[in-house]
Amino acid sequence: MSGRRSAFNYVIALLVLLFTGGPIFLAFYGSIVPDRVLLDPEVSVFDVGPNFEGYRYIFTGELPASYSEGRANRRMISDAARQVPASLWNSMRIALASMILNLVLGAPAAFMFARYAFPAKRLSFMFLILSPLVPAVALLVPIYMTMQAFGLVGSIWGIVLVHTARSLPFTVLILSVFFRRLPSELFEAATLDHCNNFQSFMRIAVPLALPSIGATGLFAFMLSYSEYMFSLVLSGEARSRTVSVVMAALARNTDVSWSLLNAGIFIAIIPTLIIVVVIWRVVVEGLLRGAVKG
Amino acid sequence: MWTLKRFPFIWLLPAILPVALVTLYPVGHALWTSLHRVMLLFPGEPFVGLDNFVRVVTSNYFIVALENSATFTVVAAPIAVALGVALALFLQRRFLGRGIVRSIVLLPWVLPGAISAVLWTWVFHPSFGLLNGILLELGILERSVSFLASPGLAFLSVLVAHVWTQVPFAVVLTMAALAGINTETMEAAELDCRSSWKRFRYVVLPEIKAMIVVLLIYNALMAFTSYDVVYAMTGGGPGTATTLLAFQIWREGFSMYDFGAGAAVAFIVVLISALLIVAITRALPSDLFGER
Repeated sequence: MSGRRSAFNYVIALLVLLFTGGPIFLAFYGSIVPDRVLLDPEVSVFDVGPNFEGYRYIFTGELPASYSEGRANRRMISDAARQVPASLWNSMRIALASMILNLVLGAPAAFMFARYAFPAKRLSFMFLILSPLVPAVALLVPIYMTMQAFGLVGSIWGIVLVHTARSLPFTVLILSVFFRRLPSELFEAATLDHCNNFQSFMRIAVPLALPSIGATGLFAFMLSYSEYMFSLVLSGEARSRTVSVVMAALARNTDVSWSLLNAGIFIAIIPTLIIVVVIWRVVVEGLLRGAVKG
Repeated sequence: MWTLKRFPFIWLLPAILPVALVTLYPVGHALWTSLHRVMLLFPGEPFVGLDNFVRVVTSNYFIVALENSATFTVVAAPIAVALGVALALFLQRRFLGRGIVRSIVLLPWVLPGAISAVLWTWVFHPSFGLLNGILLELGILERSVSFLASPGLAFLSVLVAHVWTQVPFAVVLTMAALAGINTETMEAAELDCRSSWKRFRYVVLPEIKAMIVVLLIYNALMAFTSYDVVYAMTGGGPGTATTLLAFQIWREGFSMYDFGAGAAVAFIVVLISALLIVAITRALPSDLFGER
């Protein structure tokens, strides 16, 4: 590879980093800079040094010193910020449960759609593909009433159920594309060896498509983690609120301090980022090597 | 492709039942609502036929919101997919630090819409926004511009923010599709074909075409039916510049408590989305639905 070409690579890589990581870096910067520095063009963070009061408030409830003074604006501190750590735990549990349910329920269906012809195949496939079309807002009121009837409002399981059902069509669609790509000779050989459908699914399709299954599961995880509307109406009181709900409450509060808001954002980013990087490395990159050969 | 004589209930019901539970019944409920006058403040829910639909279609916001949503979808979906595919192809190259770039690319994906909206509000902020800072520093601007307060720029700004949230998904799925390409095929292509554009056009593209169709459909739907980022950034304004049709459903139903009109807008959105899917699958034929 020539020098010019690799220089070109780095320029593109830098642009990509700026575009995707830039706003998040800004959030980190904002979280360690007090508001008065942010709004004053004459003072920069290098003059006053970083400041972690926003983080301290979120985890310990200790008010930042600048807000305890006489004429400080106490409204800039929001109780919602204190809910960030607990909501993060809720979001993690919900997203993980939704991801597992998605794969367990969706993979067999995807395999059927990819490998077999059967009566009403087109109809059932079209039903699955068309159902996410219905905008979530239109479903909100009826789903809320159903969940209330089952007594699931205010528990994380109601949210898990709705998230799973809303992302299953995507899981099935994506997985069926992957299963379809597997060479059919393998399945013919399996049939000759007297494997039944379930055995060819478990012993051939699943192991071969594992990286794709991992990526699809990751997608279900993310859909659940970032979903806002159903989490909002189904979480009820603070106990089962997800991170998106708490963050939205913080963001809508126009008085809230920028540094506190940004500290909340940054805390919400870190754990997921770790999980995404781990899953990406282990599942996608690791298993891609020589795993799927069309 | 094997043929089964009976519908494989055991395989399919676990996936179909939950979806039906959160779709069919609520849709039925919404259909009923759209044909009745359901307002929180008025007792009784009389049947009004298509009144709600007529009221929605003839109201003065409808055409504006429809135009905005259509422009938003037509611009955002292809850009998000094109950027995603380009990035995925770029990340196939080997260079130092590739692993870091690959992880950072996923970042916008892990963020809930409300957070992305706050981040981009900051980029476009008139007094301490990053974009204003850069443009002022470079001398392109003389005074700072409030991007979210002027109609054309506000639309462009929310478009950028929306695309930003959608690119990582396209990258991940395209990379998965690229990884599925037979290495021997690629080696043969490198020998036979010097031009990397031709290699992409005739070898890589056919392999990932099914995935691109999936991505286009998904992105068109997301652009047409999601509104959280846009709503959190501008609230539909200034004026009606960023008012989208999906946002209107929420507004009719939850801030005006006119559930009948909200359900009617919802049905119009569903109908247009269905047309979108059909149009995209027709325009880009792939083996996705084929029986082969």
